[in-house]
Amino acid sequence: MKFTAVLILILCSLWAALPSPARTADLDLQTLIKDVEQQYRGRSSHAETVMRVKTAHWDRTLEMEAWSLDRAYYLIQILEPPKERGVATLKRDRQIWNYLPKVDRVIKVPPSMMGGSWMGSHITNDDLVKASHVDEDYTFALLEETDVFYLIECLPRENAAVVWGKIIYKIGKQPRVPLEIDYFDESMVRVRQIVFDKVQPVGDRVVPLRMTVLPLEKPNERTVFEYRNLEFGLDLEANFFSLRRLKQR
Amino acid sequence: MDALRLAWKNLWRNRRRTLITLSAVAFSIMLVQAFHNLSFGVYERMVDSGVRAGSGHIAVYREGYLDSRDETLVFKAGSLPENIRTLPGVAEVLPRLYIPGLAQSSRESRGILLIGVDPERERRINPFLAALPDEQMLRSSSARDAVIGRRLMEELQIGPGQKFVVTAQHTDGTLHAELLRVRGVVDSGIKDVDNSLIMVGRQRAALLSGQAGEMHELAVILETANLDQKVFPAVAQLVMDRPEITAVSWETAMPNLANAIKLDYASQKFIFLIILAIVTIGVVNTLLMSVMERMREFGVILALGSTPARLRANILVEAGLLGLLAALLGTLLGCLATWYLWAVGINLETFVSENLEFGGVVFEPVLRAAWDIDWMVKIVVYVVGLTLVAALYPAVKAGRIAPVEAMRHH
Amino acid sequence: MLFSLASRNLWRNRRRTLLTLMAMVVSASLLILALGVFSGMFEDMLASATEQYHGHMVLAHPEYHKRRDLFATLSETIVDAGPLRETADMIGRSPRLRSFGLLSRGEQTQPAEVLGVRPDRERRVTALHESIIRGEYLKADDSHGIVIGEGLARKLELEPGSEVVFVTQAADGSIGNDLLYVRGIFATGDSRNDNRLVLAALPWLQKVLVLPGQIHEVAMAVKDPMQAEAVAAGLNQRLPSSALVLDWGELLPEMREVIASYDVSRMIVVVILYLATGLGILNTFFMSVMERTREFGILMAQGLRPWAVRRLVLLETLLMGGIALLIGVVLGALMTLFMATVGIDLSGYITPVTYAGGTILPRLHAVFALDNFTVPSLMLLVVSLAAGFFPANRAARLDPVAAIREE
Repeated sequence: MKFTAVLILILCSLWAALPSPARTADLDLQTLIKDVEQQYRGRSSHAETVMRVKTAHWDRTLEMEAWSLDRAYYLIQILEPPKERGVATLKRDRQIWNYLPKVDRVIKVPPSMMGGSWMGSHITNDDLVKASHVDEDYTFALLEETDVFYLIECLPRENAAVVWGKIIYKIGKQPRVPLEIDYFDESMVRVRQIVFDKVQPVGDRVVPLRMTVLPLEKPNERTVFEYRNLEFGLDLEANFFSLRRLKQR
Repeated sequence: MDALRLAWKNLWRNRRRTLITLSAVAFSIMLVQAFHNLSFGVYERMVDSGVRAGSGHIAVYREGYLDSRDETLVFKAGSLPENIRTLPGVAEVLPRLYIPGLAQSSRESRGILLIGVDPERERRINPFLAALPDEQMLRSSSARDAVIGRRLMEELQIGPGQKFVVTAQHTDGTLHAELLRVRGVVDSGIKDVDNSLIMVGRQRAALLSGQAGEMHELAVILETANLDQKVFPAVAQLVMDRPEITAVSWETAMPNLANAIKLDYASQKFIFLIILAIVTIGVVNTLLMSVMERMREFGVILALGSTPARLRANILVEAGLLGLLAALLGTLLGCLATWYLWAVGINLETFVSENLEFGGVVFEPVLRAAWDIDWMVKIVVYVVGLTLVAALYPAVKAGRIAPVEAMRHH
Repeated sequence: MLFSLASRNLWRNRRRTLLTLMAMVVSASLLILALGVFSGMFEDMLASATEQYHGHMVLAHPEYHKRRDLFATLSETIVDAGPLRETADMIGRSPRLRSFGLLSRGEQTQPAEVLGVRPDRERRVTALHESIIRGEYLKADDSHGIVIGEGLARKLELEPGSEVVFVTQAADGSIGNDLLYVRGIFATGDSRNDNRLVLAALPWLQKVLVLPGQIHEVAMAVKDPMQAEAVAAGLNQRLPSSALVLDWGELLPEMREVIASYDVSRMIVVVILYLATGLGILNTFFMSVMERTREFGILMAQGLRPWAVRRLVLLETLLMGGIALLIGVVLGALMTLFMATVGIDLSGYITPVTYAGGTILPRLHAVFALDNFTVPSLMLLVVSLAAGFFPANRAARLDPVAAIREE
């Protein structure tokens, strides 16, 4: 009796939280996740970012400039350090190219390199390609809700080509931003965690400006991604994301 | 007839000498035959397991595929597999896709070559799959099941039943990914296989690469290896009306194995030549001795009116008889030895602990002989021929005897 | 006294002695040749497995041996460390740095293993410079030159003079990349090398990988590969625990198996050949004793004891064995010399064969090794004695009276 009451309460509050008309809980969650994954992109976006990677062997900081359009197009160029200035990555749909200014060549990333880390960080090329499709590949269930956050469990759809056994999103309510994402393998061992903080208003939204990727099986390593000068709603077209633009400094 | 009886009697006049010579020659024949038949048997098995996991006795490829292994060089099945399958002597045809890609688990990724097969057929033929228990086999051509090598599975840090994702280049230019699960694990003992084998149903593989209904390789497995001479022309005929594809024999498709065997046979031949040379010299020696011994007697025969030619002929007949006897005895012994090696064989497990590899295929630990009758007959012919050759010098010597001198000989 | 009698006996029936000698000489010399060719094949296999890639021994950090971890480096100064320098039989030491990355040209990208070496030192350890089929080997001060395997060259359509991009993960996390120029193309016959291996300049790779002054391994060559295990053990005792030397037997355990089986088949061949020879000369020895029955009878009647008769016959066979041995060894040596310098070219018939980590080239040739001479020689003496045994006994057991009466 009491349990049913609580359940109804949760469902109601979920309804109330969202501005849109009543839909099934699942669909709401899907949009929620999609919004979260899109938080840095909008329809179009432009940002300056700083990435700090700490591994057992190096501790480096890169300053980069990035543009995106929908979920299909992405261009990021390295500004600092000078040694890597001009190195750039272009993503169009599911293909990736790298530009190397030192040799002035564009290299298409073959399947065998997709597992490799992107720019030496804890993010892989594959993450760049696939991360934006989380809402399509998983089903969602609300695990827990408090005043502060939603805890949403994402289980892969049958036959979705994803390596995770489970992903859990912790999404804040006010403002509605992601706080933590936990990635589990198929045996439900937590393998990776992404933590978000430094929440700021940008344009008409509120976004966490800092994202930290933690490989849990290597406790001393991390990749920290911080956005500066983030702006949304630019006038960007698909043809901006071209191999020619890739090579421009 | 008389000549034969005379030769026979002469042979047995010095029983000890004849017996020793006989045993020397017969023994050598036995060794040579048994050793060859053993290698023959071992190679037959190696080729058999090699072609079943590899190209088949006869293989069909797109032109240029063998040299470049370019994954875009596929060909449509059409009615070819069925047509070949109905040819007499063909046990099975195995269509295969070979797709290079990336395998990823939640922790690791590895570059791989994915093999798309027709599960039932492959299960019947492929020795790597034969050892798999039924429940570990691919369930269908489109299932998301994968059979992978043990070491590969361990490197990906996953276990049986767990999932992983394979990404590959699709013909539409983009990268496609498919979810697969470890259904069966192969533990062959061959490093290359256990490190890299990954097999799925062909339809599932085709979804990855966009090559549905097509294949890189059509492996033709014959009922017995020696049928390839008959079947190859028939296959070539069927392939002729499709200029983009070509049929090759396993020796062309798997040159490493073919050459490893050829090389071993070549060095064997060398050794056998030496053995036969030594034996021949022994025979020359013996025959010469027997001629020298009977100098006086020959002198008498010549003096009594026999011709040198006749004398030479007699000696040759003697030698031929000796050779034939030795050959028969040797072959009998050789057959016995071969039979033992065929039925029981030599078990290497007592000597060597690890799995031995040869030309890319694993050695079975028990070496068994097979009957290479052709070769055995050839050896018999050679030996008899050699004996006759060995008799030439003594015969000539005998023919040149001056009767008077000879009779005075002691 | 018996000795001079024995030698005179031999000389008396020259033709028979010569014929028997011929049989023994032929078998001894042919066996020496056969063993030499076997050794040649075996040496080829061992050489190809070791001299094309690993060398005879490899020194590296134990972690590097296990997992090829990019970061398990050693300082380059270890190449000329005391224990290494002081090892007497060391022919060459080559410092190396290894990187796995991509080679890219136009639209094509291929994975490659790039080995940074110092060409002058590397050529004393491995023989890749002898497998160059187009262009030339690396020169000492060529910073951006590479030599690549034929398979890789074909896939990327590269020729000497071509330009190619190399991309890898550097030790500081950045993307290491540079333009390289193909100087030469090699073909070893081993597809693993030909489809993947690239040799480049060590200082250049140290810069690209951001590992200044660092190496992953020292490849070494010694005079006698069969001694490598012992040399490695000796070095390991004197080196710190951060440096471990593995010999080729540990790097290529399958090769050890192959050697074991080679030894076994060699022995089998020796035994077979000598059994055949022994049976062949048995007749002759018997003959020579039987012919001289009367003579032995007279000698015994004159007081020669049976044991002396036996010894006499044995001496004869031994003497013959000794002479055959001398001539056989010379003849065998000559034939081996021919095969060692000229050899027989089978390349029209078969292509290179790879197994157990080594490659056999299709050229039959022989190698000089002491064993290949001492074993046949010893066996010849043994067989002579064995073959003389029965005739000697027969002679010793003769009844002098009956013997004298024989014709």
